[in-house]
Amino acid sequence: MKLSMSSSVAADRARVFAALIDPEVLRRTIPGCETLAATGPDAYEATLKIGVAGLKGTYTGKAAIADQQPPERLTLSFEGKGGPGFVRGSAAIALTADGDATRVDCEADVHVGGLIAAIGSRLVEAAARKLADDFFRQLAGTLT
Amino acid sequence: MADANTTPYVGRAMKRIEDPRLITGAGTYTDDLRLSGMVHAAILRSPHAHARIKKIDTAAARAIPGVVAVLTGADVNASCGFVPCAASMPDLKAPKHTVLAGDRVYFVGHAVAVAIASDPYVARDAIDAIDVDYDPLPVVANAEDAVKSGSPLTHPDLGTNVAYTHNVSGGGNIDEAFRKADRIVKHRLYHQRLTPMPIEPRGVVASYHAGEGALTLWTSTQIPHLIRTLLPGMIGVPENKMRIVAPEVGGGFGAKLNVYAEEALISHLAMRLHTPVKWIESRRDNASATIHGRDQIGEYEVAVKNDGTILGLKSKTIADLGSYLQLLTPAVPTLTGLVLTGCYKIPAVKMEIVGVYTHKMATDAYRGAGRPEATYLIERLMDVIAQELKIDRLELRLKHFPAPGDFPFPTSCGLVYDSGNYAAALTKAKQLANWDQLLKDRAAARAAGKLSGIGVSTYVEICAMGPSKAMPAGGWEWGCVRMEISAKVTVITGVSPHGQGQETTFAQIVADRIGVPIEDVVVMHGDTAVAHYGRDTYGSRGTAVGGTAIVMCIDKILTKAKILAAHLFETTVDHVVFEKGTFTSPGVTNRVITWPELAGEFYVAKNLPADLEPGLEASSFFEPQNFTFPFGTHIAVVDVDRDTGQVTITKYVAVDDCGPQINPLIVEGQVQGGIAHSIGQVLFEQTIYDEDGQLVTGEFMDYAIPRAHDIPDYILGSTVTPSPVNPLGVKGVGEAGTIGATPAIANAVMDALEPLGITHMNLPLTPEKVWQAIKSKN
Repeated sequence: MKLSMSSSVAADRARVFAALIDPEVLRRTIPGCETLAATGPDAYEATLKIGVAGLKGTYTGKAAIADQQPPERLTLSFEGKGGPGFVRGSAAIALTADGDATRVDCEADVHVGGLIAAIGSRLVEAAARKLADDFFRQLAGTLT
Repeated sequence: MADANTTPYVGRAMKRIEDPRLITGAGTYTDDLRLSGMVHAAILRSPHAHARIKKIDTAAARAIPGVVAVLTGADVNASCGFVPCAASMPDLKAPKHTVLAGDRVYFVGHAVAVAIASDPYVARDAIDAIDVDYDPLPVVANAEDAVKSGSPLTHPDLGTNVAYTHNVSGGGNIDEAFRKADRIVKHRLYHQRLTPMPIEPRGVVASYHAGEGALTLWTSTQIPHLIRTLLPGMIGVPENKMRIVAPEVGGGFGAKLNVYAEEALISHLAMRLHTPVKWIESRRDNASATIHGRDQIGEYEVAVKNDGTILGLKSKTIADLGSYLQLLTPAVPTLTGLVLTGCYKIPAVKMEIVGVYTHKMATDAYRGAGRPEATYLIERLMDVIAQELKIDRLELRLKHFPAPGDFPFPTSCGLVYDSGNYAAALTKAKQLANWDQLLKDRAAARAAGKLSGIGVSTYVEICAMGPSKAMPAGGWEWGCVRMEISAKVTVITGVSPHGQGQETTFAQIVADRIGVPIEDVVVMHGDTAVAHYGRDTYGSRGTAVGGTAIVMCIDKILTKAKILAAHLFETTVDHVVFEKGTFTSPGVTNRVITWPELAGEFYVAKNLPADLEPGLEASSFFEPQNFTFPFGTHIAVVDVDRDTGQVTITKYVAVDDCGPQINPLIVEGQVQGGIAHSIGQVLFEQTIYDEDGQLVTGEFMDYAIPRAHDIPDYILGSTVTPSPVNPLGVKGVGEAGTIGATPAIANAVMDALEPLGITHMNLPLTPEKVWQAIKSKN
């Protein structure tokens, strides 16, 4: 599933970019994030407790950041699994200066499997958008 | 007794004997069983369509309080054999399917591990705590892609996705037929994948008596006897130490005509853990890990003359088998080949069926099994031919019907249809539908700008399965009738009814023929400790094959009873008259002997002729010499909403000929349920896997089945053409509705859309799809 999302964060690009690769900021801003730890340069392990389509579950997974071009773009790849199934994919994130703020454009390719696909695929896109909105709102809150 | 002496039970629309217990909640289903010490299993299933299993960590699951064991394929597979397939064809390439995955999963829902706990909810929680490390592998989820070169392989070790190729050719020379044709009508049809969705999903309880080395398995199945034949080879318990019980079964429709991995696995666990084990399938598991039906795509060509005469039929079908073979997976598409010509004289036929593996759940028999596919394609083709040649679709059909005098009618597909009067059924359906008025109403509706359509299907199907030479594991049936000392009658049948009503219909047959009140007859089934042998219930065989075995038993009992009656009358058997439950000997004596007296004599056994055994019991095996071929005509009338694409069935007429009807109420119920299945198939249902092989129709929010308000009032009728294949003359009716109705409704919708120039759409005809089609023509 391809998802395109945009958001605006009231901070300059350099700060937004720095926040996006800061494990401590990410742990506080990713919805449902219970643990997040760096396991190497640009590699993280995390535990998330989230609900998709009424399927609440705890997911454990890995994420890696590649193609970093501060403060303009980065690519995030992720894979997680939990009781309701698995999620994996990648997201190309581009930061554009927009006055004092920064526009964040995200092009994601997401694959879900198992129960999430079987009973929630109709709702995965909406759920992903909500999670992204929540994330950027939290991020904006952290930076202001 | 008054009843038995007046009108016969057979032919009466009696309410079912089994219903009061079922509708008052007093039936015992598998999940109702509570055995001492019983533990509960939950199964972890793969979320991947194809992946290598790198590691399974069960430590966290095992640490949960209440968990008894957590086991993987490495622990159990060597003790559980392989999931069996009874069908065989010469070039069949079959993967080995173990009860839990080995080092690879090959469909979403593939069982990976099992957790056993003292409580079902603890077991369910435990499977979430099992950590499986998967390495995803390339997926093929589309059968047409699977046969292309370079496709990912469902089973890399087989080297191909093609399981088998089956060729049917018969009748005259097909090439000559196509050379002589004025026109070749071509059509591509997709028969979508369906999920059976019985109200009761599957369930198993197993109990092992270590001292006796004996296993009892309760399972929600249609085939306790076939399981008793096949399970011993899987788990190493001999057949004569194995008892299989099918308790109340809440719907089967072919989905429970199978030997499933869980039946072997749970049996093994009961043996291994020395305690009874229960596993009950969830609705979600049912959607992903119980067989699916249909899923055939084909290209069809018909050679026709300009006057409509059909010279030949060619087809190439790809059947999507899913990822492995269940009991009859490869055989089902070949049934399509057997009735490809429908109820028509088509002189030459050539069909190629390619069975293909994909990373999906296995397909297998689902209500109608192969015949709905054949009927849908031939009945759509008849309409397409009529439309292209601008000839009347009923005339086209009538022109190709064999006449009543043509029966037994040999077909180009190699069958011999037993009996039939196809035109009579068509004529009756037209009368019931008020055909001429329908045409006027449609014209008026169209003139008013409405989309109104009439669809017809004239079908024939294969029932009463079947002659043993045509069946993988014998097609006979066994029965036993015993008159007890109290003159009550116990009937034991080897068929395993689960909604077909044979506790009632067999009692009707027995009560009439033996001459006792129906209340004195009990029909037992579904327990191999009681019904020692049987070939179970599928393929509309229960009454035609199983009922005949019962009739044979009755004949034996009456013969024996007359010998004792003659002895008591001090005369010879030819002077004994038996009528409606009483024995007399006019001209010899005025004495009248009734069953209670005679039954007492048989068991007290103080006054028997020297060569007569005590007791009054007989058993029989019936071996049918042919299938039976029920037929009929269905007419559907629909309105299509131009603005929403919604299809509404405004009238539905079905005339089915299943031979003489033992119980017209049960026949009606079977036809009604069958048509409901077809309404689902035409308007709502499709099992969908995405390109990653993910099942996206895993619950009723995404897999729509018809609800009460989607079902119209049916106008049902019948004609009666007895079958010469069995002494009851009955043909079978369990699948007829599903076979006749799908093309009738589909043809009606296409007829409604014809003025817009829409000539074909694949099923299901959902509002969105119909609306898109209408919109594309605006």
